[in-house]
Amino acid sequence: MQVITSRVAGMAAALVLLATTLLGLAPVAAAASSAPTAPAGSASTPDTSAPTGSPSAASAAPSGPAAGLPKVLRVGTEGVYPPFSYHAGGQLTGFDVEYMKALGRALGIQVQFVEVPWDSMFAALTSGRIDLVANEVTKNPKREALYDLSSPYVDTTGVVVVAQDNSTIRSLKDIRGKRAGQNLTSNWADVARANGAQIIGVDSMDKAIQNLRQGSVDVVVNDKLAVRNFMASQTDPGVKIVAETSDRSESVLAARKGSGYLPALNRGIAELKSDGTTTRLYDKYFTAKEKPVTDWQLIKDNAWPMAWAAITVSIPLTLISFALGLLIALGVAVARLSTNPALFAPARFFISLMRGIPVLVLLLLIYFGLPQFGWKLAPFTAAVIGFTLNVSGYAAETIRSAISSVPRGQWEAARTIGMGYRSTLGRIVLPQAARTAVPPLSNILIDLLKSTSLASSILVVELLRQAQIAAAPTFKFFTLYGLAAIYYWLICVVLSFVQHRVERRVSRFVA
Amino acid sequence: MSELVRVERLKKSFGEHTVLQDVSFAVPEGSVTVILGPSGSGKTTLLRSLNGLELPDAGTVRVSDATVDFADVHPGRRGRLPRPQRQTVDRLTAQSGMVFQAHNLFPHRTAIENVIEGPVVVQRIPREEARSQGVELLAKVGLAEHADKFPYQLSGGQQQRVGIARALALKPKLVLFDEPTSALDPELVGEVLRVIRDLATEGWTMVIVTHEVKFAAQVADQVLFIDGGVVVEHGTPGEVISHPQNARTQDFLRRILEPI
Repeated sequence: MQVITSRVAGMAAALVLLATTLLGLAPVAAAASSAPTAPAGSASTPDTSAPTGSPSAASAAPSGPAAGLPKVLRVGTEGVYPPFSYHAGGQLTGFDVEYMKALGRALGIQVQFVEVPWDSMFAALTSGRIDLVANEVTKNPKREALYDLSSPYVDTTGVVVVAQDNSTIRSLKDIRGKRAGQNLTSNWADVARANGAQIIGVDSMDKAIQNLRQGSVDVVVNDKLAVRNFMASQTDPGVKIVAETSDRSESVLAARKGSGYLPALNRGIAELKSDGTTTRLYDKYFTAKEKPVTDWQLIKDNAWPMAWAAITVSIPLTLISFALGLLIALGVAVARLSTNPALFAPARFFISLMRGIPVLVLLLLIYFGLPQFGWKLAPFTAAVIGFTLNVSGYAAETIRSAISSVPRGQWEAARTIGMGYRSTLGRIVLPQAARTAVPPLSNILIDLLKSTSLASSILVVELLRQAQIAAAPTFKFFTLYGLAAIYYWLICVVLSFVQHRVERRVSRFVA
Repeated sequence: MSELVRVERLKKSFGEHTVLQDVSFAVPEGSVTVILGPSGSGKTTLLRSLNGLELPDAGTVRVSDATVDFADVHPGRRGRLPRPQRQTVDRLTAQSGMVFQAHNLFPHRTAIENVIEGPVVVQRIPREEARSQGVELLAKVGLAEHADKFPYQLSGGQQQRVGIARALALKPKLVLFDEPTSALDPELVGEVLRVIRDLATEGWTMVIVTHEVKFAAQVADQVLFIDGGVVVEHGTPGEVISHPQNARTQDFLRRILEPI
């Protein structure tokens, strides 16, 4: 329930921000940068097992052990990397998650988790959306130069994984020239690359394994504990471990350079080691056997969370972005048709820009790029802005051509009865243009609904992201993505029905 | 009769092609002027110059107290007019109503809504009042019972009569007709011409471009025969239609009256 309310609150906050955006852009920058550290309303999972009592009470403890740490530590984790960070029973859990909760208790601070796709993790850290990464970050010199790295809290080795029927790859040396499915920014990708493999980018380990099973990659190098966990969860894994990497790799927590967190973090890590917490969690997550779940159980467990994500995020995101996009598009289309160069030139540039930038790039720019300039927007708000801009570029052209398709005689007739430009446009031309514009605009709307799945890459927990979260620990891709596909399709059916009604309405004056 | 319209030395060319060269004439108040001429002779361009839908390159048009010297009107790129010039032209436009060849009714408005659009939006006459005046106008053109039909529900002749009612709704000093029957099926021409003839007897000042020579002979006070962008012959119907002096006029009339 807490997740739900925080999601709704996040949306409300997003709407307020949007309203401010419409009133003028300047105040938003101020509002956003002065806003409390409320991250990712929709993507954060408040730590329900955090110490009771307010964070301020905790930090008021004498000679606070949390010296140098914020009262609320925003911790980035993947959520789709079992057994370290994944969802079970609707809750974020896993070794790294439980470890951070224990560390928070030990240090007397509150821990707030923010789920971030791995390849965006360090962007989120650098842009100040999270304070710390707890996601099996392997220590290496490159990272040491860029970030504050804690002392290791767990160590492991990498393993070389191949398909069950592969007999050519028997050691790390054999992967030279082979296709390795890896997270592009992970340490394991570096290991595979160093051994001469060709890196095929995937965005999480579960997908890497899936690619391996499908034969689209030859090898996966990943954490031994993660791979073992996967194999234990499957009755027929279809893959096997053929070798371990030579060196042990140490997992550390990563913070921004110069954070000042390290002394406190390292003290806490040492404490958890000495009091046995680390060992207890290690046994709980790395030796226990996950039991396989049936497809039906999976659908029963996820049908509602996914529907809820669609209802509270995907659909509102679609409708708000579309409505705002249409408003802007109308203005841009009219400016584009103006005879005034001061209007039509910028309008043409805007359309060209918005149609020329992939919407995913736009989203990443807004969410991860703007914080560099002090503009930190909540994921939902960033998504609304990104999609609104994208829609306005396309819809402007649709509206412009619909306006142009109204015969010149209509403008002339209106002129001869004394009507000015505005009343002619509003009363005579646009109602007729609407008839032409509704079908292509409906296409844009339906396309937009499907494109909202891209918002998962900027931490918006929408329908697809919810499916990914559910699929990661179970490896049941077809079931969950199939369910997502059905949901998208059902929403499109409803939208098409609405389109039909609107078309009839705007065409009632034609035989 | 005082003079309502004066046109002096209008010139217009589209690129190399000269459409109007040095056209001048006057229209007395309450009179009917018919412009005849072969296709491409420039007669529609001339008519559209009278209300500023077309902008000649030079010459002046005066309608009532609105005068435009087109030598001072210079559309820029994309046809953009500087605001003061736009306002001058708009004042000229406001003097007249216009009936188009393709009627140009607003397809999303009923007959009565087409008629009262100007009075309600431009003159801000209360809707109810505008409506009762509008129904009267529709009655005048024989369409009172079709007031609430959309254009697509009306025949071509009925559509054109709604167009006439719309042109009259603002009570303009001048009414322009651009080939009002050319797009109609032959059996529908009569009902439209009868309406125009009735308006003539009511004393409306009208300038009509048409190919209906017999109709012109009946209603016109003066006839202009235009060819190649110049007024070839100018006079009463008796002079221009019954006894044309110019060979081009004679040739044109013969082809219209005896097509085979």
